[in-house]
Formats: sequence, C-alpha cells, structure tokens
Amino acid sequence: MVHDVFTFLVGGKAGEGVKKAGSVAAHIFSSMGRQVFQMDDYMSLIRGGHNFSVVSTSSSGITSQYMKANLVVNFDKRSCDTHDNDIADGGIVIFNSDEQDNVDGIGISLSSEAEKYPMKKLMYGVGAVAILSSTIGMSIDQMNQNIKNQYPRGIEDNIKFADSIYDMVKKGCQNKYPLERGNKERPIITGNDAISLGAIAGGLDTYFGYPMTPASSILHFLARQAKNFGLAVVHAESELAVINMAIGAAFAGAKSMVGTSGGGFALMTEGISLAGITETPILCVLSMRPGPATGVPTYTEQADLNFALSAGHGDFLRIVASPGTVEEAYYLTAEMIDLVWKFQTPGILLTEKHLSESSMTIDLDIDRAKWAEPKMHNGGEYKRYKDMDDGISPMLFPPSNEVIKWNSYEHDEIGITTESADVIAKMHNKRNKKLNALIEHLKTQNTINIIRGEHPTNIFTYGSTYMSVLEAINYGIINPTIVQPIYLSPLPVWELEEFKNQDNIVIEQSITGQFASLLKEKAGLNIRKVIRRYDGRPFDPIELSIKIKEELE
Amino acid sequence: MDNLKTNAEVTWCPGCGNFGIFTALRNAIPKLEAKGINRKDIVITAGIGCHAKIFDYLNLSGLYGLHGRNSSNAEGIKLANPDLKVITFSGDGNGLGEGLAHTIFAAKRNQDITMILHNNGVYALTTGQFSPLTDQGWKGPTTPGGSFEDPFNAISLLIEVGATFVARTYAGDIKHLTETIVKAIEHEGFSFIEVLQPAMPYHKWEEYKDKIEFLDKEPVSKEDALNVARNSHRFMLGVFHQASKKAYHKGLYGDHNPITKRLSKSTRLEKIRKILESK
Repeated sequence: MVHDVFTFLVGGKAGEGVKKAGSVAAHIFSSMGRQVFQMDDYMSLIRGGHNFSVVSTSSSGITSQYMKANLVVNFDKRSCDTHDNDIADGGIVIFNSDEQDNVDGIGISLSSEAEKYPMKKLMYGVGAVAILSSTIGMSIDQMNQNIKNQYPRGIEDNIKFADSIYDMVKKGCQNKYPLERGNKERPIITGNDAISLGAIAGGLDTYFGYPMTPASSILHFLARQAKNFGLAVVHAESELAVINMAIGAAFAGAKSMVGTSGGGFALMTEGISLAGITETPILCVLSMRPGPATGVPTYTEQADLNFALSAGHGDFLRIVASPGTVEEAYYLTAEMIDLVWKFQTPGILLTEKHLSESSMTIDLDIDRAKWAEPKMHNGGEYKRYKDMDDGISPMLFPPSNEVIKWNSYEHDEIGITTESADVIAKMHNKRNKKLNALIEHLKTQNTINIIRGEHPTNIFTYGSTYMSVLEAINYGIINPTIVQPIYLSPLPVWELEEFKNQDNIVIEQSITGQFASLLKEKAGLNIRKVIRRYDGRPFDPIELSIKIKEELE
Repeated sequence: MDNLKTNAEVTWCPGCGNFGIFTALRNAIPKLEAKGINRKDIVITAGIGCHAKIFDYLNLSGLYGLHGRNSSNAEGIKLANPDLKVITFSGDGNGLGEGLAHTIFAAKRNQDITMILHNNGVYALTTGQFSPLTDQGWKGPTTPGGSFEDPFNAISLLIEVGATFVARTYAGDIKHLTETIVKAIEHEGFSFIEVLQPAMPYHKWEEYKDKIEFLDKEPVSKEDALNVARNSHRFMLGVFHQASKKAYHKGLYGDHNPITKRLSKSTRLEKIRKILESK
C-alpha cells in the first residue's frame, strides 16, 4: 500500500477564509478518490489573531494531520513566523509580499490583488485554493468549476481573482506535486457530525445543550436537522437546566442526549447523580479541551477522564466510552444510547476537541447503528423500581393508567421516598446488580480494538489519540501491538488479562497520565513508559513515531 | 378524590398549610377531568423541601427532582411529549433561590406548564432560615441579627419575565385555591400560582387570616398588572395577569410531537444517507 501523503497548510487571521480554504482543499482531494484528514487550529476570538488549517491526504488511509506541509500558504507575517518549522523537505512556501519581504519562498501580492475586489480580505482563502490547484496540476477550468461550487457568493469576482493568483504562482508551483487518484470518493465529516448522526440513527428524540467549545457544533448540527428528523433541540439557560430538561424528557420516554465540555460537565454532575438514583437513561457527550477551569477553549486534551469516571455524588453505575475514530463515533454514539436505555443509567461519551472538530473521509456502514429499545412493562401491577434478577426494572411512560414515579430520594419499588434501612440497602443492591448485567452484556460486544503487531511491546491508547498513534505507526513503519479500549467504565479487563505482564507503553494527552493510572488500577497492567502531550495540540505522527521508536529499541 | 392519595405516611406538621394545597389539588383533578382533561395525561414534578412531599402523597405519575431543578424537569417532559399536562411544585426557596434562573426562563419561554409555588416564607425543612420571599427582620439560624435583605415580589417578577397566567391564592381558602389551580392548568402557557401557606413552627394562621384581601377586578394589561402587583400588599389574592401568547413548544416544532410522531429507524437512515451524499 502506497502511503503517499501530501499536506497543505494555510494560515492567516480569523475572518480571511482560512478554515473554508482547508475544507475546499479537503473536498478537492476527496473528489480525486483520496482520503483526507483536516485539522483546524483556531484561537478563541472572532476576528484577527492567527488561525490555520492543515489538510493531509493520501491515496490510502490517513488518520492524522502532518505538521510538515508540502505546500504552506501564509496570508500574513504572523503566519510565516508561526509556520517556519512546519515545512516538509522541498516544500513550497507562499507568502504575502505586500506584508513582508526577504523570506524564503514565493512572494505574491495577495493584498493588493484582493484590494481590487469589494470582498477584499475575504478572498484570501480563494487565493489559497488557486495556489493549491496549480501545485497539484489541476487545470484552470477545473479549478474555476470548484470555486463556483464552493464559493457561491460573488462567483465572477472569485474566479477572476483565482485565475490571476493561479497565473502568479505558475512558475514556482505548477504541477510540483501531482497527486495520484485514490480508489473512491468518500464523504468528509467531523467527529461531532458523526456523533450527531449516530445519535439520530440510535433513536435520539430530544437534545439539550448550552454552547461550549468544542461540543457546540453538535448543538448547531442538530438544531439545523431538528425539523428534518422530528427532534426537539433546545438551547437552554445553563448546563444545570440542560441535564434536568433531558432527564424530564427521558421520563416521558424520549431518547435524550446532552453535550458539553469540562466546565459545563461540572455543572451537569448534579444531574448525572440524579440520573443515577432515578435510573434515567441519558447520554452525555463530554468533549474535552485543556483545563482546569476555562483552560484553553479551542484546543485538545484528555484530562477529564478521571472526572468522567467518577462524575456525580454517590454510588451508581456510569457507562463511559470513548471513540477512537470519526467512524467509531457514529457507531458508538448509537450503541451508547442503546446501552443507557438497556441499563437505565447515565452514560458518558468521552471525546476531545481533536475528534470533535477535525474532519476526515469516512467509510460508514450506516445500517450498522444500534437502535435503542428499553425493556417495557407488559401488564400487571406496575412498580417503577421493581427488583429484578439483573436489577433492570421494566419501563412505562406517561400517559398510562398506571402511576409511574421516578424519585431523587431513596425510594421503595413504587418510587415513594423511604428512610428505611432495609429498603435503602435493598435499592442499593438492586442498582448495583446492573453492573454485572452490563459486564455480561459487554462481553458479547466489541469493547476494544486490538491491532496485533510483531514487536513484543504493546501500545495502549484511547480516544482520538488512537488516530495519532495509527498514523505514527504507519509513517514510521513500526509494528507494536496497539490496544485501544473503547469502554473505559466498565473497563474490559477480561480483554486485558493477556497483556498484564508484558511490556506496555501508554500514549495519552494528560500530564498526570490518567489513562495509564486507570490501566494499572483496574487491569493491573505493568506499564513501562507513558508518552504524554499536554500543550493543547494533538500529536504529530512524525514526532510521535520517533518517540515510539526510541521506546521500542 | 380518595384514589388520589398514596399510602405514603404524611409527614407535614399538624396544621401545616401544605394540607390545604394537597386538598385543593385533589379537588381540582376531578374538576379538570369533567372538563375533558384525562388524569393519566397529568404529570407532576417537584423540587426539594416541605412543598415537595406532596409528590409522595399524590397518586399521580411524575418526577421528584433536585432542589430548584423541578421546572427544568417539567420543561423537558412537556417538550418531549406536549400532550401531557405538567404541574411543577416548588417552594419559595426552591423556586426563587436555588432554581431562580430556571423559573424565570420557563416563564420567559412561556412553557406550557403550571408552577405552584408554596410560599411559606421560610426554609422550613432545613430549620427556619430566611427565604427569597421572607420579610426583613427574620431571625433564623443564618440571620441571628435579623435578615436585612428585601424580599422579591414574586407576582410582579413573574409578570415581568413573561409568565402568561399569574395569580396569588391562599392555603386557608380551599375554594379559591382549587379554582385558581383549575384555571392555571387550563391556561395554555406558563402559569404561576403563589400560594400563601403558613409553616407551623414558624407561623400562625392568625398572621394571614386578618390580612387576606381579594383584588376588586383583574388588571387588563401587563402594565396594569405590574402596577397592581407592585403597589398592593403581599396578602392580596386573585389573578393578576392573563395573556394569550404562543407556547414554547409550538414555536419550537408547531404541532409535532417528538415521541408520538417519532420517525422510524429506516426513515432516519435514509435521511442520513442523503446527508452523507452531500458531504
């Protein structure tokens, strides 16, 4: 399999069409049947600052951006300075000669050319697409067609501008990186798109959210699709309202999901605990960004793992799982909705900015999604919290001739408040039985991805870091065994037994190594080394492959 | 009326105003049934406090939530299945302290739910601290020198933020209380009822009886209602405000019902396929 990676990086100020240019580039590559990974790096502001989009493509699979680009387009000086080290050997750098001179690369008068048109700086992105088109040997006609499709506002000006930029860079760029075609055209979606679609496929009826990066785009996507799918999608006044509305909706029988990041999740924990005692099926998407507190809103980290595992006061069952790829995010979200309804307990879909907001080409078998169906009461006297062998009481929803009582106080089987010692212990036992039932169920499911390698060392990772590791292994042509638990609570220890005393290393994005600690504590794994990154950026596959090689030698 | 009681042991203090609310509720349900509202469509939520004990005593379906979050639970139920009639019980500390934002936003949205606020002017269950509706000078365990904050005016506050049915009534007048509850539940939009109710160790019925008065007539406009609410004393009973305004769920999805009109799995997958084709 050829691993012919080409990387395009475009950088400039917010409002200059950086992200859009990255997205157009991704679609150009995918239209050639190639696979794509696009990562957007942006600051928490609306105009100015420095944003960049990096798009890596290969004619075979690709699961990460590369931070050594073959073509770098800088709209301003800050971009040039920032990406000085992000150029691959022999790579082309384009800079804006109206903003600076005396740098290596090809200068073009981007500003003065754009000034000729009413949209001015808004056209920089179109210029970047023209430069890319020339570099990969695309004809001017084909480029114009792409621009027409992708930039519907001011088509004539955009084409005229693109054509002049295309001519300007001809000498240095034309056909410098001709790209092979791949095997088929694929859709490009973000992790949050996949989570949203997976939820809909799994039976979602209502979604409640409060804007918080990097989870907001789930709320945006579902709000846009609400009418199409008959959903109720609500932007509420706070995460406290969000979780409690969702619990109310679940009481009425609606499959409900909420989404947030660390700070919002902190507010939700009160409600997660309520879901624990009321046995409410509820799925919460927790998309991590660097903390503590406000932290770094638009960057990535994996430091909320411990928080997710113990979210909410009291003893109760929490299901925590984390998708390793955008495709898995689709299947796992549907599966988690099914699980929380099967076991009537809160679930947390743990992810990161890197998966939520990165885009990639996908091969999705959409029919494979699970569909949530709770165990229903069928006749006879109804007791909401009827004690069963597996702890799972049959459900009923209003309107019903039976009285259905869900209660945040400790309660008897009917759902009436109790302070009786016997009943308190009995209800704890009842809820606790669900853990064994869940484990028995998960033993029949795919709870872990293992890629067997020939090297005796095993690499453990989870979440979007799995994609970084896959690409690093691919790039470095190294072959350790890779183990990615999808489920983190309950951790599938039955799958981990064989690795216990082998040589294991962990790769994660947390300074304290929370994932490594979990593996030691729950699975008793011997862990030699933890490779960590905690500067808000995802791993770069080249750098990571060097680090892995050092450990494998 | 009798099968509206569960077997739960009633633990309100003897003589508590909550008994009046409990009785009025049980009177109101048959009256609503006579008007064509099915009992099985009525769902209740409650916060935490003495008010909330009514959840255990009323033989109706519902969700006994967290302190202050009961109106959010009610909003979620209504939005999931708008065929349901949702009543949310709250105390003055629960609904205007811990849950103030949720109460105000439910009113702002004109959610089609009914909030019954049991106003005993005190945190009774937690041993007598002052509440957001307690008059200045209250000597409770957290204000040994007497409270010095002014209380909210619940009626003018709720009119201001958008409730479309706002009334004050009294646990000692079962007839007025019952009638007000029936009107509030029939009203489409956010209904707010403040019920004055003594909490026995802290108050006496005598403190209320002599002061109770009724509005001469219902104010005709929101401005008028605000004036009356602001300028009348806090024992003035009656419907202060009623207005007709689109309920939130109608604005959100018109005549849809996310549960009863749920799309099948195959229809969803077909639509997902289409979305992916455009990506």
